Amino acid sequence: MKKSWIIALNTFNESLRKKTFYILLVVALVVIGASRFFSFLAAEDELKMIKDVSFSTIEFFGALIAIFTALAAVSGEIEKRTIYTLLSKPITRNNFIIGKLIGQSLIILLNVLLMSIFFIVLLFIKKSPPDVQEFKTIFLLFVELILVGSITLAVATFATDAFNLIFSFFLYIVGHLTSYGQQLLERTENFIVKRLGGLLYTTIPNYENFNIKDKVVVGVDVSWKYVGQTTLYGIIYITIAVLIGIYFFHKREV
Amino acid sequence: MALIETKELSKVYILGNKKTVTALNRVTMNVEEGEIFGILGPNGSGKTTCLKLLLGIIFPTEGEISIMGKTQYSIAAKQNIGFLPENPYYYDYLTGPEILRFYGRLFDMTRSAIDERSENLLKLVNLDDARNLSLKHYSKGMLERIGLAVSLINDPKILILDEPTTGLDPIGCKETRDLLIRLNESGKTILLSSHFLSEVERVCSRIVIFHKGNLLTTGTLGKLLEEYRAENLEDLFVKAIEKFDKETGASEHGVE
Repeated sequence: MKKSWIIALNTFNESLRKKTFYILLVVALVVIGASRFFSFLAAEDELKMIKDVSFSTIEFFGALIAIFTALAAVSGEIEKRTIYTLLSKPITRNNFIIGKLIGQSLIILLNVLLMSIFFIVLLFIKKSPPDVQEFKTIFLLFVELILVGSITLAVATFATDAFNLIFSFFLYIVGHLTSYGQQLLERTENFIVKRLGGLLYTTIPNYENFNIKDKVVVGVDVSWKYVGQTTLYGIIYITIAVLIGIYFFHKREV
Repeated sequence: MALIETKELSKVYILGNKKTVTALNRVTMNVEEGEIFGILGPNGSGKTTCLKLLLGIIFPTEGEISIMGKTQYSIAAKQNIGFLPENPYYYDYLTGPEILRFYGRLFDMTRSAIDERSENLLKLVNLDDARNLSLKHYSKGMLERIGLAVSLINDPKILILDEPTTGLDPIGCKETRDLLIRLNESGKTILLSSHFLSEVERVCSRIVIFHKGNLLTTGTLGKLLEEYRAENLEDLFVKAIEKFDKETGASEHGVE
């Protein structure tokens, strides 16, 4: 674990030096900041708008950072050939994948923290301090982003960057639409489509589970039980993704 | 005592269209404790493939590897190895001392041990003055030298060096050669891959010649010069390759 942590810190420090991180972060902050200019709305609607835009921005730009960081984590090491030296040292391939996951999760954490601080400051400016529901929303978004990153990391161990990029975004979109897909499946009569759809529904992570912003924005409370269950759901998927990554990386020749 | 042994080691790459390339073909060799063992061969002869196999970076198609009696994947074996890849690349945002600290920590070295060793190594490879410079500002020669320092951070018993003088000027080459001899005298076993014949001739106690993935011959330089009736290493190298090509019909070996 100590060696994974050393690799994680290096991944974190290296990612911090990438321009992509700062560009995405600045754009995200601008978008969050821009939400406060909806002053023509009624005070209550304006607050809803700020929350909605901020949560969506944290999620979307967080996903971009998660995907790009995970892409660089494996293929960056291979392209720059830094992996030769690393794998010749007394580390296991498990250390490498787990280290990369922790490192990219730290980057995601930093990104979510910075955007959240900006969002909270905005709420204070509007004289509406955040309550625990807002923090629950941000926490579940954070778990979702780690899951998005871990899937990209797993795919990076066996696929090309181009495929991984398309796959990760496709999965991100489909993962948000699985509930709609389930509704459509209930209406279809075709056996094959029903079976295939059912298989996809149970395999693909349902990212909408992590999305409680629609409820929180309109003032509906989300229970701690739901937060706990959804976190566990995320951890199970993250574990599966990491195990897949480890399995393929053990077979990967660099 | 052999610190590194390979038995019938082969590596075949599958290219698609049912084509394969035999990068290494049934290589059996050993590196004895305390020697400087040179792997010679033209570009594409299988030298780097052999080193990557020894380090567990790629996997053999057939055959066995033993490093200090353990497999190439063993953490205990890697604990005793220092490796310098060809044209080394490192995390270029780090400075010399930082990169040494990073790799040193992977060997479970204490901070004080790393700092002490780093000081000595930076002086040894003449990078003491560049200690505050990040690696992205390093020249090719400086990268080669910090690579050598990285390979020595754990004070390894075995040093595996892939083309260690590539990119170095003549003075740098000489300094590296002298350093390798000094390290060998201090008890390190060195496995050196190179296509610079003069470099190998000057430092290696035993050599092996690879060509198109095949081990052509191995032994001490004196013995091989006699066996091939060659005047020098260059002559020996050419004769060994010509003999192999003649015997095998000089076809596109390896591609099936």
